Amino acid sequence: MGRLIGRRLLSLIFVIFSITFLTFIVGYLAPGDPILVLMGPRRDPQVYNNLRHLYGLDQPWYQQYLHYVGGLLRGNLGISYRYQNRTVNEILGNGVWVSVQLGGTALLLSLLVGIPAGIFSALRQNSWSDRLNMALMLALFSIPSFVLIPILRAVNFFGLYQHGLPSLPAAGWGRPGNWIMPVLVLAAANVGYIARLMRSSMLEVLAQDYMQTARAKGLTQRRTIYVHGLRNALLPIATVIGPALAFLVTGAFVVESLFAIPGVGFIGVQAIGQRDYPVIQGVTVILAVAVVVMNLITDIVYIFLDPRISTEEES
Amino acid sequence: MTGEQTQPTVVASLSADAKLLFDQRGAPSFWMRFARNRLALGSLIVILLLCLLAITGPRFYRVDPNYQDYAAINAWPSAAHPLGADSLGRDTLARITKGLRVSLLVAFYVELLNIGVGATLGLLAGYFGGWVDQFISRLADMLFAFPGLLFAILVAAVFGQPVTERFGGIGRLLLVAGSLALVSWPLMARYVRGQTLSLKRRDFITAAYSTGARDRRLIWRHILPNVAGLIVVSATLDVAAVVVNEAVLSLLGLGIQPPDPSIGQMIRQSIDYLETNWSQVFFPSLALTVIVLGFSFLGDGLRDTFDPQRS
Repeated sequence: MGRLIGRRLLSLIFVIFSITFLTFIVGYLAPGDPILVLMGPRRDPQVYNNLRHLYGLDQPWYQQYLHYVGGLLRGNLGISYRYQNRTVNEILGNGVWVSVQLGGTALLLSLLVGIPAGIFSALRQNSWSDRLNMALMLALFSIPSFVLIPILRAVNFFGLYQHGLPSLPAAGWGRPGNWIMPVLVLAAANVGYIARLMRSSMLEVLAQDYMQTARAKGLTQRRTIYVHGLRNALLPIATVIGPALAFLVTGAFVVESLFAIPGVGFIGVQAIGQRDYPVIQGVTVILAVAVVVMNLITDIVYIFLDPRISTEEES
Repeated sequence: MTGEQTQPTVVASLSADAKLLFDQRGAPSFWMRFARNRLALGSLIVILLLCLLAITGPRFYRVDPNYQDYAAINAWPSAAHPLGADSLGRDTLARITKGLRVSLLVAFYVELLNIGVGATLGLLAGYFGGWVDQFISRLADMLFAFPGLLFAILVAAVFGQPVTERFGGIGRLLLVAGSLALVSWPLMARYVRGQTLSLKRRDFITAAYSTGARDRRLIWRHILPNVAGLIVVSATLDVAAVVVNEAVLSLLGLGIQPPDPSIGQMIRQSIDYLETNWSQVFFPSLALTVIVLGFSFLGDGLRDTFDPQRS
């Protein structure tokens, strides 16, 4: 078990190197001189050189990279090209917390809805309610978030607002009502994904010999399914966290910019418009590393939950 | 959103019926087997019609997609504007036709790169193994480190403006395709590598090798024909994902630049006028949904045709 965790940690180092290196190289290869853009019409060679030095652009690329990684290790994402007096940390600041809240709530919701929906279908395999449920889950999984948003907004406006019923704000952040639509949209794809996986996992467990043994012992149907079945069927769900988080990251850009939520995705899109590379790089590194670290944690938890994994991989 | 998991039960049951039929009739041709899957055949027809519309549409429907008709701002569908007009009075049918062209062109270039680079590298990695495999697999792993579209967003964001300034709209389109291919080739390479590895251990490869066949012949005559099905199926299913991803990039302002239309941008712009005229967000969303579903069903149908034992 220790060796397996050690190997996971080693691969973490490789993955984090990949993320930082590729992110750095893309910014490094960007055409144009950011300092000239930053200085605007002023053309003072002294100021130019000072700024180049401030941003570390007077060094060769490998030193720039080491400098960048050194900063990252100390939690410093660099200085904005757009606002010389602001660091990337300051600009992202609250955005990280907003995105974590939004993404965390969406992930929680998708687990809370997806798992029961999958169990529901598995227990009624091939009945019409199973098919209907799975068709719905497939739809949730495959409808892109930016198509779901107008649908929700239309329901909200034409179904609630126009009839004088209490309705939700179309955009913004801060009030409880602002949470509902973005969280629903972000959770939708994952609900579909988790429900489909939960169904097949549950079906696999239901066909196992120990389930038959449990029934043969005379346990109640309820106890067989929820104690013997569910605990085993839930294990593979730990592995969906990775793909689920990847959905959330792409979704965050779309949902935050369409609902005007000041998270990292929204800040990133603004930085794209201003060609503020250090901020774009910062958003990329933060999101990618967050997903990688979450994946590592689920991997390790999974190793503890399912001892078969460590014996399988070490043999 | 990736097409891979989208295997609707409808397809499975349809093809199961069809399979019973042609087992009794001997071995029908590839196209005959494919054509028995009505959903996939219908999707293929819809896709071909959409391609035809995207290519020849502007010849028959001669309306400038960027012309602003100030009398028709946020107009509902009418005789003058069959699908209405957007918030700047531009004709929605003309814009969808042009946007469709962008979506399909980007998807075409991405799959070209996906097959040309991803499948080729996967084949080489699987066939030669050793350091070639190590190098290619680590390269793919580096790109896998970025979740979802993140790396494509970064690349399109950093190179977008300079590329547009230097190479114009076509350059931008190729950049979008290139950055999307950057996040989708590793998966293609991984699939093809896996399949090649398992083929290499099969007896017919050993037999061919023992008769003195060289690497080139083994790859072209023995391995490639056996991975071709997998490549076609994954590329087709990937188109559905690419069309959505291209729309996401456009939506974030990273795709084709205004005033030229793309589906994602049209949705982004019309979403704020939803309350006054929902038809303007409805039509581009519908067009996008039809393409995505079409390619998913087509991909599933092709998979069943290539590999009848599965499912």
